[in-house]
Parts: sequence; structure tokens; C-alpha cells
Amino acid sequence: MKKFLALVAVVALVAFAAPAFAANPFMDVPMNSWAYDAISQLSAVGVVSGYPDGTFKGNQPMTRYEMASIVARALAVVDMNKASKQDVEMLKKLVVEFKDELDALGVQVDELDSRVAVLEENLGGWKFWGEFRLDAKFGDEVDGAYGLGGDTDFTQSRYRIWMSKIIDDKVKFIGRMTGKDIGFSRYYLEVALPMDMTMWAGLWCYDWEGANGLYNDNDAWFGDQALQGFYFTKPFSMGDFSFYIAHNDGASVDEYFRYGLDVNFNVAENFRIGLGALMFDYDFTDDGGEVYNVNFGFNFTDDIAFKGVYYMEDIDTVAAGVDDGPSAWRAILDVSQNAFGFTSVWIEYANADDSFFLFDFNGCDTDGSGPFDNYGAVTTPGLGRGQQDKETDILFVKLNQKWNDNWSTFQRYVDSSADPVGGGDYDVQNLTFGVKYYYTPNLSFELVYDDVDYGDAWAGTLDDDSLIRLRTHVKF
Amino acid sequence: MKRNKVAALLISAIAILIFTVSAFAGTEDILNRWSKTRHFESDLGSELDITVTYYSSEYIEALVQNEAEKNLWTADEAENYKYELLKGLQLDEYVPVHIEFDNKGSAMHMAPFDRQIVIWIGNKKFTPVDYDKRFNFKLLGKRDGLVYFPRFDEKSGKSLLEKAKRVKVSLSGGISSTMDGIATVDFLWDVDNDDPEKLFKGKAAAQLEMDRLIKRIEKLSGEKSVLEAQLAEIQAELDKINLRIEELRKE
Repeated sequence: MKKFLALVAVVALVAFAAPAFAANPFMDVPMNSWAYDAISQLSAVGVVSGYPDGTFKGNQPMTRYEMASIVARALAVVDMNKASKQDVEMLKKLVVEFKDELDALGVQVDELDSRVAVLEENLGGWKFWGEFRLDAKFGDEVDGAYGLGGDTDFTQSRYRIWMSKIIDDKVKFIGRMTGKDIGFSRYYLEVALPMDMTMWAGLWCYDWEGANGLYNDNDAWFGDQALQGFYFTKPFSMGDFSFYIAHNDGASVDEYFRYGLDVNFNVAENFRIGLGALMFDYDFTDDGGEVYNVNFGFNFTDDIAFKGVYYMEDIDTVAAGVDDGPSAWRAILDVSQNAFGFTSVWIEYANADDSFFLFDFNGCDTDGSGPFDNYGAVTTPGLGRGQQDKETDILFVKLNQKWNDNWSTFQRYVDSSADPVGGGDYDVQNLTFGVKYYYTPNLSFELVYDDVDYGDAWAGTLDDDSLIRLRTHVKF
Repeated sequence: MKRNKVAALLISAIAILIFTVSAFAGTEDILNRWSKTRHFESDLGSELDITVTYYSSEYIEALVQNEAEKNLWTADEAENYKYELLKGLQLDEYVPVHIEFDNKGSAMHMAPFDRQIVIWIGNKKFTPVDYDKRFNFKLLGKRDGLVYFPRFDEKSGKSLLEKAKRVKVSLSGGISSTMDGIATVDFLWDVDNDDPEKLFKGKAAAQLEMDRLIKRIEKLSGEKSVLEAQLAEIQAELDKINLRIEELRKE
């Protein structure tokens, strides 16, 4: 892989290196130049051949043009099985040195691209990629709603280093390291099974609501989770079918099985319907439960979609008088920026019964935060946090304007209304404005202002606050 | 906020949008229909847009019409453009699909790309015959290219699209960590009303047929030359043998 990366770097250098000193192409390269040694070494190990007859006449002076010809031919015939990392590094140096002459020889980067890409197909080495972010957060209140220590936090807790390796035709390893203590948050094998089935075995994440476009903010309600176990998926022409079995290994009281099942049917190009079931069952207590859902998506056009989900729960153990079969529903209007030209629109309305419980089926990388708690403050305190007595209605609106490849702005509004049996103002309003700037595709800055207002009835539990956050996000 | 008010607001918004959209249906809508984009965003803020275009006959007709209107072309110029387009896409041999990535997330590693994408035509699944090899490179930023799938059944030689009602292009979710947790991303089109043969009518189609015939002549001529060379070799050997026989007789 490293060899390949280096060779890609060679190609990139041919393409993008700043014009070098305009040397006379017919001037001899001095006999004491490192270039002779470099070519000699590459020739000795058979990575490149010197002259067209396969020899390298290292004892004769060569013009820059001749030397460039050898480099060009080396790029055309380089034998990756014989090349070491040092060999490729040497080749890279030669390309930089003779860039002008290579240009004159008409070395086509595109052709090299294709050839090197073919080589890569057969290399199958390790691949690494990742990202990290630094958040500078400034809250209005000390120890306020955003969970900052004091009123300011600089956090760089989120970095992710991914890796993968194709082991053979049917097996691939995928891993992800994260956290200050450098732990693996993903490590699993992706295995191609007979009958078009794919299996993930290990610690993986699945995101069914994300796959169906059922959320666009912080998190899914359900069906988005990192688990250890076995995950199977099978596509078919009309849709796909997935299921998993996983087990949480902890202290005995925390050990439980989880099962999930998801089926999607594309009834027509513009209409899909899905069915899902999530179950968990504790090994040593009677706790557990099931969540079933029916979801759909209907595209009026390719830019305007109407989506919805209906959830039904069956909770195994509840307090006396509490409904053990609560339900919830969501309706979403999703309009892309193409429709209006200047902004995308996401309008979501949701309702959940008072005892509706989110369990912890949401969030591959977050724990316990609500679906709309994007900036750390709780925005839907009445939703799904145990057997409460508050039926919750939520209105969520998000607008996003992409002005060009570099700049975008967004606004979001969450109105969560919890209606307890005894009355009281349990409403929450959350308003956000943000601007994002891509300095390069790899590096972005995002400035956000977020404000949360809690109804009087939350006083003492949750208090109003606001936040300014500057996020620096690097991808590689 | 009262639930019924919000529901009414939502329904009104949908009704207005449908009315607005249906009032402006045109070639742009046809182009949009066959060119679908999926947007993905990770919890850290990484973004990925994938746009897949299926070259239906309706799409190509709309594209040609659109370009002709934009450039004020004559009918001949439009036909030439169509000819070049059909030739470039190799529609007479393959089912081409255009893919565009706009990756503002971690680097994507898709090699070998032909293991990351399939097409479903009816109930059958096919892997690419050829594709833009640049998709095998690490990808940050934008990249686009064509992927070619088979158009004809290997055994029968019949067009796979002949009785197909639906075409689905599926990409593996593993190509990008922005899609962590998503097994596959699907782009599908109902093609039962699309007539691929329609493309092969008119002047552009005649030119393409001419190209095919020229290619065939070249191929046949090549075969003829090979056979002629073999024949010449045999003849030379026969002549040599005859000559030797003559020599032996004289001895």
C-alpha cells in the first residue's frame, strides 16, 4: 500500500509540481549527479530498464532529455512487485527533477492514472483514512445547558482513524480507532456469502434510518447503533433485507441480546415502504422490549419527498398504570435546494405517547442524547427518557443554503412541547444559526450560534442558555 | 403548538409544492429524473453527495434538446451532437452509468471499484464490464466518470433491457466512512416506459450504423487478410512440394 501511495505521489507530482528550473534538455547531467546512482539502483533491482535494449549505460554522460526518457519509461514499466518503498521514493525524486523534460516528452498523467489504478487493484494493501475535529465552545451560563465545564470548552475528543484491508476475494477487514485512550470503536470483517448475502462479524454500526433518509440532524430515533455480533444483509431487485444478532458483554446485570430485522421494498421508483423490528432481552432480569416500525418515502419529484415513520413499542416491565405499548409517529417534508434554488427545507413533525421510550437504540457514536440534541443541550426532555407522564409533540425545521463549493449557511428550529397530565409549561424552543466554510475539501470551519429556552416548568432542572461554537474539522 | 395546526400547515405546504412543481415541468425535470443525487452527512459534519445518471432514451433526447436550445443549434448540429454522445457512451454495446462524487469527508478508497457497484436489470444483477479507473484512487473532493455494464445477454445475445421494468444501481456503503452503518446505497428508475431502441432511429443512428458497418468491414477485411495469408502459405508449401517432386522425378 505504501508503495502504491508513493507511486500515486509520483503521478501527483508529475501533474501538479510547480514548473521547475527551465533547464536545457540537451545539457549533460553531471556525472557526479545523484540521478545516475538512482537510475543505476532502480535498474539493478530490475524495477526499471535503462535504454530500450534493457541496458543502462551508467558510465556514459547523459543529457537531461535522455535521463527523462528513462524516467518516463520507468513510469511506464515499473514493476511494483520488485519496487521497495525507497525505490518508489527515488522515482519520485527523479520525476521532480526532470518534470519539464517529462512534460516535453508528453508523459500523460491520465494514462499514468489508469495504469497505476490497474496496479492498485492487485495490491490490496492496507488503506488508512480519517478525520478529527476541534470544538471551541463558549456558553452563556456557567455549568449551563450545554454541559460545558465552566462556560468554555476546547474539545478535540473526536478523532477517527479508519483502516481496511482486502484479505481475499470474499473477506475484508474494517477497523476504526478513536478516543483519547486509542480504542477500537469498529472492528469487523465484511464477508461475501453465497446467494448475494453479506455478513459483518465483529463490532459494527448499522444505520437503517440513515439509509432511508429518515433523519438529517443529530441522530436517528431508532435503528442506528454500534453493536458486536453478526449482521447480515441481502439485496434484491425490489429492495433489501437485513437482520442482526448481537450481545452486550458487561457485568451480568447488563448482559443482553439484541436482535434487529429490516425489510425495504421499492414499490415504484418514487415510492418505498419499509418494515423494521428491534428487540432486546436481558440475560438475568425480566427487562427488555421491542420496537416495531413501518416507514415509507414518497417522492413527488426528485427534489421533493414526503416521508414518515410509525413506531409501536412493547415494553416488558413498566410501573403500575403506565402504558406498556406506547406509540409514536413522524412526518417529514424533505425539499432539496434544487427545488427552490436557494435553500433546502426539512420540516418534521413528531408525536410520542407519554411512556414512549427511546431505549438506547439511537446513535452509533453518541450515547443518551436525544435525536435533536445537536449542540449538547437537551431539546426534547419529554421524549423517550423513561416512563414519564408527558406526551410530546415536536416540530423541527431545518434550512440549508449552499452558496457555492466553499460557503454554506443553515438555520434550524426545534419546538418541543411536553404535555403532562397535571399541566404546566414544559415547552422547549431551540434556535440555531450556522455558517460553514470549506477552506479546502479537507478542512472546514463552522461557526454556530445556538440558543435554548425552557418553559417555566423546567426551572431548576433545565435552564435557558446559549452557545457559540467554532468547529475546525480536518479530513484526510 | 397545536398538533392539528402543524399537520394542516404541513399538508398545505405539500399541496403548494406539488402545484408549483407540476406547473414548471420541462426538460430540466426530465434531466433531473434520470440523474439522482443522494446526500450524506456524518455526525462530525463530513458531507458526501453521490449523483448517478442513467442514460435512458428520454434523458438523451432531453439532453440533446436542452443543448440545442442553449446553443441555438440547427437540426443537423443537434443530430451531430447526438451522434457524438451516443458514440461516446457506447450505448449500442453497453449500459453506461455516469457517477459523480463530491466528497467533503474523509478520503474514499474504492479500489477495485468494480467490486463496489452493481446494476440490477429486472431480477438479475450485473457487475461492470469497464469503468473509469480513476475511481480506484483515493478520493477527496470531486470526481466523476462512466461505468459500463453489459447490455446484451451473453448466451442469447438479447438486449437485457428489452423486458426490464426497473433498473437499480447499487453502491456499497463501505466506500465512504461518511456512510458508516449503511450497507448499500440504491438509485433506481422505472424504465418500462423507456424505449432504448428509439435512440437508434434518425440521422445519428444511421451514422452509428455506418460506424458499425465500417468496423465490421475492417474486421472482416482483417480476417480475410489472415485467411489470404494462410492460403498463400499453403500455396507456397504446395508449390515447394510440387517443385521437390519434380526434382525427385528428374533424379
